Amino acid sequence: MNSLVLLMVLPLFAAFIIPVVAKFSSKLALFTGPVVLCINLLLIMSAWVKVGSGAHAIFLGGFLPPVGIVFYIDHFSLLFSGLIASMVLIVWPWDAKESRLYSLYMLLSAASFGLALSADLFNLYVFYELLAVATYGIIAKQKNSSATAASLRYLFISSAGSVMLLLGIAIIYTLTGTLNIAHLATMTENLHGFAGLSAFALIAIGAGVKAEMFPVNSWVAEVYGTIPRQLSALLAGLISKLAVVLIIKMLLMVFQVQAAFDLLLVVGMLGVISGEMVAWRAKDMIRMLSFSSIAHLGVLFIALSIGGSKGLWLAIAIMLHHLLVKGGLFLMADRFSGHFDKLKGLAHHSPMSAAVFLVFILSLLGVPPLPGFWIKMALVMNLAELGGGLYYLAIGVILLATIIETAYMFNLVQTMYLKADADSTPLNKRYSASYTFAKLFALLLLVSMVFVSPISKRLKDIANHSANPQIYIHTVLPARYLGEKS
Amino acid sequence: MNHFFTVEGILYFGAISLSIIGLFGLLVSKNLFRLLLSLVLFEAGANLVLVLSGFIRNGIAPIFLDGNSGAVMNDPVPQALVLTAIVIGVGVQALALSLIFRVKKHYGSMDMRTIRSKLEREIAENAGVTPPGSNEAPAPVKLIEGENS
Repeated sequence: MNSLVLLMVLPLFAAFIIPVVAKFSSKLALFTGPVVLCINLLLIMSAWVKVGSGAHAIFLGGFLPPVGIVFYIDHFSLLFSGLIASMVLIVWPWDAKESRLYSLYMLLSAASFGLALSADLFNLYVFYELLAVATYGIIAKQKNSSATAASLRYLFISSAGSVMLLLGIAIIYTLTGTLNIAHLATMTENLHGFAGLSAFALIAIGAGVKAEMFPVNSWVAEVYGTIPRQLSALLAGLISKLAVVLIIKMLLMVFQVQAAFDLLLVVGMLGVISGEMVAWRAKDMIRMLSFSSIAHLGVLFIALSIGGSKGLWLAIAIMLHHLLVKGGLFLMADRFSGHFDKLKGLAHHSPMSAAVFLVFILSLLGVPPLPGFWIKMALVMNLAELGGGLYYLAIGVILLATIIETAYMFNLVQTMYLKADADSTPLNKRYSASYTFAKLFALLLLVSMVFVSPISKRLKDIANHSANPQIYIHTVLPARYLGEKS
Repeated sequence: MNHFFTVEGILYFGAISLSIIGLFGLLVSKNLFRLLLSLVLFEAGANLVLVLSGFIRNGIAPIFLDGNSGAVMNDPVPQALVLTAIVIGVGVQALALSLIFRVKKHYGSMDMRTIRSKLEREIAENAGVTPPGSNEAPAPVKLIEGENS
């Protein structure tokens, strides 16, 4: 079981040897990364079976918590580790000639695995920064100077976010004297005062920069507009979710209080409204997708504000759905970017790609048999069950957002099925791996439509298990700490 | 009320003020280099708060000389954490500085507003649309069709 530390160590090691290997053979350097990720996938699968319905903690360096650093392993963290490995494999830069880019991708995956597994607040901060630095590097490495400027602006916003995260961590340490999340979960009463909640707000907004949270997301359109689509698929699909995982860990284990839920609910609603409004006015695919992605992360925060295992279940479902749909759409956008008017007649050039696109959009909007519908339905039902002014308002916001979304998405679909003009550019028909993966994503979406009920039952089990602080505490802390409490 | 005027209270006040100054600078500065300096200040403030969390007045350095001297030690954990945070911070600032050089070379300006508007124009050009919210080109669709033919 302790071999799971390799998930983080192997990519980190590969990141450092790839430049050396590249001196001898660039082919070998190119294949090092995918091989490491495949090994990781195998490790994750074997751990998935071994963990079963339990949980496991790895004590690094043999120091027992709360002194040492802990990796916490259950199906929730393994699910995300699996997604990281497969997503990085899908967007691996096969045609890039530079070995440094491979190193950066490896650093990115090492940091992501660390974020998914770590159960120590400061360790999470370090991995978050590592992830951020790897991302700046990858963005700035693109061969155009607007990407450098976008990366710099992203760096300023994101570093300010990291400092806020650090400030939140400092406040928590002042209040409790520990940074181990399980240990923090045993002394929540110290943290539910004004200072503790402001620490949560700092952490949520700091990590929210990567999660495209409402006030701190001005980088989104700039970065996604300047980088290759595959990379946007990775950032929008996965990296944003990892920042949410950090917030989830703090929210569910330590800050199960109404004020924290209200904060997430309000930023979620503002994100939904602002994202949909800008997406509605967008004239090109990438801008539209960027802002619709902001709106969907807003929906995710609204789901989290339900709290407890129900909130976590909905959040996992929304994250998986958004990963498939938005990842797929960004991968598709490789084929048809540009002004919407140029997409006229696309359906006649390539009925297949128009159909795949339509599947994604229908699921995003929540048209019945597709998974998106069931998620939206469950979300609205749960919000209604909670009642209360803000929650009713959130239902209204979600439904309004659906209407706006339908307006611009169907407008686009209509354009695609119109007759081609003389000046509409024919589709970029060369073979691209990302289009194949997009088709695969659409297929997964259709298959999951058939298996909605077993999948949701499985996700509910995972959420029930992961949202329970008692299991977390008993897995991580040694018995003598628990003895003191009771 | 009176614990605001202890040494710790004054130190906390200074550290938090420093980070607020940094955050304010990040929000209002337009020059790239000033933005970077504001980031440095913000980070210094946060690091000070973190190191203060383990501070005990009259505490000794956390080194065991003999087991029972009876003196109270400062908490060593925040000091280790701050060291890590400082190193990360320096790395990020160096990266930011190198990016600033490249941006300055390309755009010929250190003003964030200029760079942002140029960046938005470039993105819009790449996507084949007029820049969002631009007043200069009120008839977007016509203009682009004209350019293409």
